[in-house]
Amino acid sequence: MTAAEPSIVWLDEDGATPERLGGKFGSLAEMVRAGFAVPPGFGVTTAAYRAFVQAGGLDERIGGLLGEAPPDDLDAIERASAEIARLIRQAPMPARLEDEIRAGYAELESRTGTAGVPVAVRSSGVLEDTAGASFAGQYDTYLWIQGADAVLEHVRRCWSGLFGPQVLTYHPHGEGVRHAERAAMCVGVQQMIAARAAGVAFTLDPVTGDRSKIVIEAVWGLGEGVVSGDVSPDRFRVDKITLEVLSREIAEKAGEHRLDPASGSVRLVDVEPERRGAASLDDDLVRAIASEAKRIERHRQAPQDIEWAVDEEARLHVVQVRPETVWSRRPAKRIVEPGQGALDRVLSSFIRPGGR
Amino acid sequence: MATTERTFPSPFSVATPTGAEGWEELYPYYLRFREDQRESEESRFWFFDGMHNPQPIYPFDTIMVENWWVSCNLQTVRLWQVPPALGIDQRIMNGYIYCSPTALDDPDEVAARVPVFQRRAGYYFQHWDEIYAAWIPKAEDCIERLKAISFEPLPDKEPESSVTEHPGVYSSWHLLRRYDELISNMFEMGSYHFEMLNLGYGAYNTFREFCQAAFPGITDQTIARMVAGIDIMYFRPDDEVRGLARRAVELGLAPLVRELTDPDELMAAMAERSEGREWLTALEAAKEPWFWYSTGVGYTHTDRAWIDDLRLPFDAMRGYVDKIEAGEDIDRPLERVLEERARITEEYAEVIAADEDRAAFLELVELARQVYPYVENHNFYVEHWHHSLFWNKVRELGDLFVGAGFFGDREDIFYLHRDEVRSALYDLVAGWATGCTPRGPSYWPPIIARRVRILEALRTANPDPALGTPPLEIKEPISIMLWGITPTMVESWLDGGEDAATELRGVAASPGVARGPARVVNSPDELHGVQSGDVLVCRITAPSWAPVFSRVAGAVSDIGGIMAHTAIVSREYGLPAVVGTGFATQNIKDGQLVEVDGDNGVVRILDATAT
Repeated sequence: MTAAEPSIVWLDEDGATPERLGGKFGSLAEMVRAGFAVPPGFGVTTAAYRAFVQAGGLDERIGGLLGEAPPDDLDAIERASAEIARLIRQAPMPARLEDEIRAGYAELESRTGTAGVPVAVRSSGVLEDTAGASFAGQYDTYLWIQGADAVLEHVRRCWSGLFGPQVLTYHPHGEGVRHAERAAMCVGVQQMIAARAAGVAFTLDPVTGDRSKIVIEAVWGLGEGVVSGDVSPDRFRVDKITLEVLSREIAEKAGEHRLDPASGSVRLVDVEPERRGAASLDDDLVRAIASEAKRIERHRQAPQDIEWAVDEEARLHVVQVRPETVWSRRPAKRIVEPGQGALDRVLSSFIRPGGR
Repeated sequence: MATTERTFPSPFSVATPTGAEGWEELYPYYLRFREDQRESEESRFWFFDGMHNPQPIYPFDTIMVENWWVSCNLQTVRLWQVPPALGIDQRIMNGYIYCSPTALDDPDEVAARVPVFQRRAGYYFQHWDEIYAAWIPKAEDCIERLKAISFEPLPDKEPESSVTEHPGVYSSWHLLRRYDELISNMFEMGSYHFEMLNLGYGAYNTFREFCQAAFPGITDQTIARMVAGIDIMYFRPDDEVRGLARRAVELGLAPLVRELTDPDELMAAMAERSEGREWLTALEAAKEPWFWYSTGVGYTHTDRAWIDDLRLPFDAMRGYVDKIEAGEDIDRPLERVLEERARITEEYAEVIAADEDRAAFLELVELARQVYPYVENHNFYVEHWHHSLFWNKVRELGDLFVGAGFFGDREDIFYLHRDEVRSALYDLVAGWATGCTPRGPSYWPPIIARRVRILEALRTANPDPALGTPPLEIKEPISIMLWGITPTMVESWLDGGEDAATELRGVAASPGVARGPARVVNSPDELHGVQSGDVLVCRITAPSWAPVFSRVAGAVSDIGGIMAHTAIVSREYGLPAVVGTGFATQNIKDGQLVEVDGDNGVVRILDATAT
């Protein structure tokens, strides 16, 4: 690590690279550079994490604990994981690092014009969300965090999440990945959008792989309902080329994720009866989301899976982008028989009308 | 075979509407269902062709259906020899035309026809552009010869020149010959009509089916947008109207255009001032040929052209004048349309995963674009220009009969079949030659009076969408491409009677959802009653109903396949439209609140009470 390596990097800064910000936040920084509407935020870099664990020999103690736990002994791994979490929670943070994170949060308050601006604090691993390795749901996300103290606490939680039992035992690509990840964790701190509706957009039909469609799933409130699957989303199919809305399946949406003022945290709350069966997006918003998804796909030159949120003023925000991994790897479905020219096909339509 | 409970009415069980007894005399024997062929005719499937003939057919107007009965079918059966199909047979029931697609069942014969079809149809496709280039002068020459036909009353005495130039044939012979020329001219254009049409539809339809397989859910209008050109003749009349609106504004005549809604009054006022006379010159230039634009499909004499009734183009012009004055751009965005066509084609090509599929897509769109100018433009030459002119020539002959005391009105001629007109003309000529009284003046008026009553009575009854035995499959390609007759459509007709009380299903022809009071229009005469915000409900719409399309909120029709003349205009005007509902004009009452869901092809009756 060089002295010039920063502890925090803003999404709109030149140095906002995937190496510093991890896959998830690195992709968002790319979206910011391309001019998409991404909520402002900064990443606590991989270098910051390393500075934290290197101070006071924390990394050596963690290495020791991991080395003592046999990889196939789940109980031992869970005990080691809990001990590492305690260490990370209690270890002193280098003063300069803490100052920079506090200054970052204050800057975000100033940029958004909101004192105590609510933020999402989430892990962003280097290999996460790159084509071929999703690590889906393995790392932590904390919503609606307010105040610099709470941000600092949740940054530590994200760090300790690197050693969660599920991460320590998740190794579809072998040990090497685990070690690389452990050395390369960024934590993103980003303004929360108080979403009226949110969800995902696929730039192909996830059911058929048809790349001429954009499929949008949307729920009331925050997008956690779509991602976690605990709310049935509305589903819209849009023609990617003409942006015509081809179909609308409106679900009964009994609950929505939003801030519960009583507890100060995000919870699944009941939706009033009159809003349950109503479409969470009108056609204009469906087209706006599809149009943005199409631009993102074009920018990234591959099918994408996009998380978006619409705020109370009907403004659209891009909150996550990642490459689609299922259909992009399958061999293409064929339509024509090889060697049959256009004229042969036309003549066949008379010879076998209706394809018989 | 279909089960007994799921079948259409037998052609022999359809009741005659009260007052229409004896309707059979209006049509030749070969167009009627006949008791001696009952078993065969009941076992066949007959669908109502409301797309071309939404109203009971006038006896003279059967010339149009009789034309395609031969000229369209001979292509399938005798010329191209389309392997699995024989022709589309036809009959008339209660004045309405019913069509029966016929399959060729002998597999050896089907197999034997395949190479012949491939060779013959292949020849036309391979030489498409040169054949189309030769088609245009043939059609124009046919129209010029039609224009040259005229019907003057027979002279009291042969002129001196009949002696000095000793032609040896006289006025009577010329009159009979001109009539034969008129009929033969109609059959000539009728034959050109189908020369390239069915093959053209086939090429377009193949592209459409590819798109539906590659991009499931793609709309028909998007497919059409990839193919349609901008230099299409049926946009031209509307372009001329825009030009006249622009000219009126330039010449400071806008207040006059807005004030005088009656075309005759407007033209009279124009004639009184020099700018107005300049505008009238522009109008005359625009009219020929662009106002030979039928207000209907052009298939019946009641479909008058703009040139006969200037209200429709003048209404449209007034709308454009208002737009110009409001600072709007009324030009058709030609370049944008072409750019869009290129863009969407390119983007669809990009999302096709397999290289061979992408190559097939690009080849098919190219072939569809090659055939499309004919598919779109034949309509103006044939149905609009030629046929509108043809009906007016028949009216000229009607005048001659009125002059000879056969008819009370020039329009009476349409109550006679063309062969009856030939007989009446011979009667007239014989009377003239002999100097004795012809039989016509006492013979025809009571028959015409009876036929007027019969046709009125026939109009009161709605036709069944189909008769006879539902087919297991349809192998005749033209019925599928042009009329949209598919097993699904047949099923919906079988279900239609019971479930269609408040909801009708059809083809989603133009996207969007609209609500409004229903305005049921059974003939172009009723178009003037359509109010702003109404939902137009009709058997079929015609492209030239343009001024109405700018007023209505949505459109619903009984009949319409994908290549019908209708849907394109709805889309051009951005109107939600559902076509091919089968029953809309029967189930929807004037004034009922209806919802047209052009995205899903559904029409809902929201308020059962008519206002």
